[in-house]
Amino acid sequence: MTNYGLVIDQERCIGCQACAVSCKQENNVPMGQFWNRVLTEGGDKIDTPSGGYPEDGGSGSLDMQYQPTACQHCENAPCVKVCPVNATYTRDDGIVEIDYDKCIGCRYCMAACPYNARVFNWDEPEQMPEEGTGDVAARPQGVVEKCTFCSHRVDEGLDPACVVNCPADARIFGDLDDEGSTVSKYINEYETDQLLEDRGTDPKTHYISGEMSPGRPQTSDKMESELDDVSPWSDGTEDVPSDADGSDSSDSGGSHHSIEGDADPHVPAVGSGGDD
Amino acid sequence: MNDPQQPRLTPIDEWEDEAEAMLDGVEYDTELGLRMARDAIRVSNGELSDAEFHEKYHEEILEEFGEDERPTKPEGFDDD
Repeated sequence: MTNYGLVIDQERCIGCQACAVSCKQENNVPMGQFWNRVLTEGGDKIDTPSGGYPEDGGSGSLDMQYQPTACQHCENAPCVKVCPVNATYTRDDGIVEIDYDKCIGCRYCMAACPYNARVFNWDEPEQMPEEGTGDVAARPQGVVEKCTFCSHRVDEGLDPACVVNCPADARIFGDLDDEGSTVSKYINEYETDQLLEDRGTDPKTHYISGEMSPGRPQTSDKMESELDDVSPWSDGTEDVPSDADGSDSSDSGGSHHSIEGDADPHVPAVGSGGDD
Repeated sequence: MNDPQQPRLTPIDEWEDEAEAMLDGVEYDTELGLRMARDAIRVSNGELSDAEFHEKYHEEILEEFGEDERPTKPEGFDDD
């Protein structure tokens, strides 16, 4: 059975917020709300560095570590367990979604989510431009909303917008139940963490840290499973380099690899139009 | 940054304050929401079973919401 998950390589993440912006655009997220954010670690605020500038000839300690955060699509999702009307539910493919027609706005799911990944539409949502953006209908006032792994795109065989639009190829989406998928291989081959593992929620988002992976292998906006071949590094016998050091591909720094098969050229999913 | 509307990781010792803020002004029982949130995490980490969680809150959920459609309902559970 398919069980979708996301790997985010924090060594590749450059904190550009492209994932946050493309998510907002693709999913018609209202003004003032974000489903997807790139936080920083250690600073006074969510987007400030830790440490300080060099002073008086010292070396300084300024440091910026990025922590991209959105709904973790937990295997043991507390938000699903507390919803009295079953508006929040887990799809057969593992994606946690909200039925906005059922949601009564009790916000119990928000209280239960350890990742603060949900937002509530206190007011009538405002979009810029007014007609909205992306391919998802606006949600009404009084409901909770959050990241869906771009399920509307996944259902069409496309990767989530944040994945396609990451210029550093730091986000890799795929089937965690498929041992041959890149997400499964990276989880096996690299040091990965899940957020707040002690809560037992078993998030489907895994973070690589310590050693940089080769990143998202395909240049197409299609999901890996939709492609005949995503073997940019080899002769096709192996999709992902087996050596953890990534050898000649780990320094790609966001450049795209050549690709074989019928893969489409990389086309950013974000169109024109403003947002806040 | 303490805006509970924005995704971020909350240290466990700050969670309850933020959860209260999220439920502030909700037209349903805030205290019930807090207790359920706390126990839902206990379910996730194995301290409480789905069935125990469902039974523990079933009556209160029915009283508050008039229905209990949570997916934790154990097989053969009597709704009445």
